[in-house]
Amino acid sequence: MSKTLRPLKYWVMGLVVAVIVPHVVGTVYTNIIVTFMLDAVFALTVNLLMGYTGLVTFGHAMFLGLGGYAAALALKHMPGFPLIGVIFVSGLAAFLLSCAVAPLLARVTGTAFAMLTFGFGQLMYVICLKFREITGGEDGIAGYSTPPIHLGFTNVNITDPINFYYFSLIVLGAVTFLMWWLVNTPFGTVIVGIRDNALRVHYLGYRVKHSKALVLIISGTLAGFVGGIYALFHHLVSTDGVLTIFVSFYPLMACYIGGIGSFFGPILGAGILQGINVLISRYTQRIDLVNGIIFILVVMYLPMGSIGIWLSIKGWVLKNKRKA
Amino acid sequence: MISVAEMYIIQSIHGVVYGMLLFLVSSGLTIIFGMMGILNLAHASFFMLAAYFAYTITVVTGNFWLALIIAPIVTAFFGILCERFLLRNVHAMGHMAELLLTLGMALVILEAVKAFWGTESLDIAVPQSLSGLVNIGGIQYSKYRLFIIIMAVVILTLMALILFKTRLGMIVRASVTNSAMVSALGINTPIVFMLVFGLGTWLAGVAGVCASPLLTVFPGIADQVGMDCFVVVVTGGLGSLVGAFISAFTIGELNAYGVQFVPRLVPVLTFSFMVLVLAIKPAGLFGEREK
Repeated sequence: MSKTLRPLKYWVMGLVVAVIVPHVVGTVYTNIIVTFMLDAVFALTVNLLMGYTGLVTFGHAMFLGLGGYAAALALKHMPGFPLIGVIFVSGLAAFLLSCAVAPLLARVTGTAFAMLTFGFGQLMYVICLKFREITGGEDGIAGYSTPPIHLGFTNVNITDPINFYYFSLIVLGAVTFLMWWLVNTPFGTVIVGIRDNALRVHYLGYRVKHSKALVLIISGTLAGFVGGIYALFHHLVSTDGVLTIFVSFYPLMACYIGGIGSFFGPILGAGILQGINVLISRYTQRIDLVNGIIFILVVMYLPMGSIGIWLSIKGWVLKNKRKA
Repeated sequence: MISVAEMYIIQSIHGVVYGMLLFLVSSGLTIIFGMMGILNLAHASFFMLAAYFAYTITVVTGNFWLALIIAPIVTAFFGILCERFLLRNVHAMGHMAELLLTLGMALVILEAVKAFWGTESLDIAVPQSLSGLVNIGGIQYSKYRLFIIIMAVVILTLMALILFKTRLGMIVRASVTNSAMVSALGINTPIVFMLVFGLGTWLAGVAGVCASPLLTVFPGIADQVGMDCFVVVVTGGLGSLVGAFISAFTIGELNAYGVQFVPRLVPVLTFSFMVLVLAIKPAGLFGEREK
């Protein structure tokens, strides 16, 4: 992975495209793109744990969900609460939760980590189902209004799809950039070292458990921000929307399909998944069923994700060339 | 009007019933863990699947006993198919692939159940001969719950006999300890795996059918029981039957009294118990190794 942002022209091109796109494709596709961005950045936070630190999490929905609930509760019960404050509150809630679970989770790795996060995620789900008067149970929290952003001289109405697109582009872009920056710091190298050989990192004098806890807290907090944007975008936060096992599983799928071990793989995977979902939702309501089957097929036949397809196509072409 | 003492006794028996059900499910889970080295995240889904099969069989034939016999067998058949055609194929790719696969299986089963049976709660009636109360030492108690206790005890005794007194049980126990060595001694471990997986899902199926009249059948049933089983197996020490037995009853009692006193904090209660145990003994009560 390149250590600098050297191919500057690609970044500038990407930014220009990102700015122009909502004016070209219309409201429906703008919203689909926002959904894609939410999925992609959430997948990136999972990849920070899975791809970089080697900790596969089955319960990341709890951070996203708590962030979403915090934002929705703040909007519902504190009218006039500024929007930036809402985003901050969602991050803070996820931060506190991740601080609470980190001491236990940092002690385990591999399948034990996956199973424990699964357990915590399910616990969060059940609690939110039971505490109906706070979380609304299955129906969730809805009917809160989104305040405009005060920019000093003007108020930006965030309910407009295009404005919301820019808003989420800025927040999620910042989250993405933060992670990009993080994995390129010396700390980023240490966590990759933990993934590859935790014992050696320990011998080198780094504190493995502390580092793992820190990555978990960072990843959880950033997922909380994504949850805040989710709450603002959907105007509805419910257990089915943000806390089911499907929510934890979707970014795993994005990472797997895009290919683990690269920074941008999850974004590619989220894009592919979004494309598939938009396509199949025309034919069936059972999107989750199709997703589950796709996931099983990917785990069984494509352990390297779409990069694996690319490599095998390349190998096949090379082989045929040699024959000819 | 029941007295306080009676309430305590009744809640304790409730706890035993739930503990029995939990142990039926988690004994299969923990044996499968011992053999494969992973928690089968789809295990509770088989529990749910059996409950739905039981519902359909009771509706079609009107006979609960038939459901009790057939539904677990059909479930075990599904379990064996999943092991043979899904799990075995990714075995070589390591534990994480297997774990991800069981997660995928859990999701597909959940969605398939929603597609076939819908999302609303379905009621299964307790058979005539077991409905009503029975008077034991002055306390009225539900016949059906007592029936569950007796049946679970019979099944578990049989299982313990097979596991500890027969050659097959010896092979299974040896595979749990070191499957590579057993395989090197010329025993066909893939078939043993398949049988054990089938047995585990059968146990989950029996528990599912037994629990269906008590819990009603709905898609969330897998979450509810699955989480408790998860706590049981992790707390008891992964792969340990004795640990699973002890923690199943602890969780059962915690549940029964939790429902009585702090109904909505039950999941928190059981989870706090797990965290407490793990904080003191990271490998669980009777766990020897960290997987």
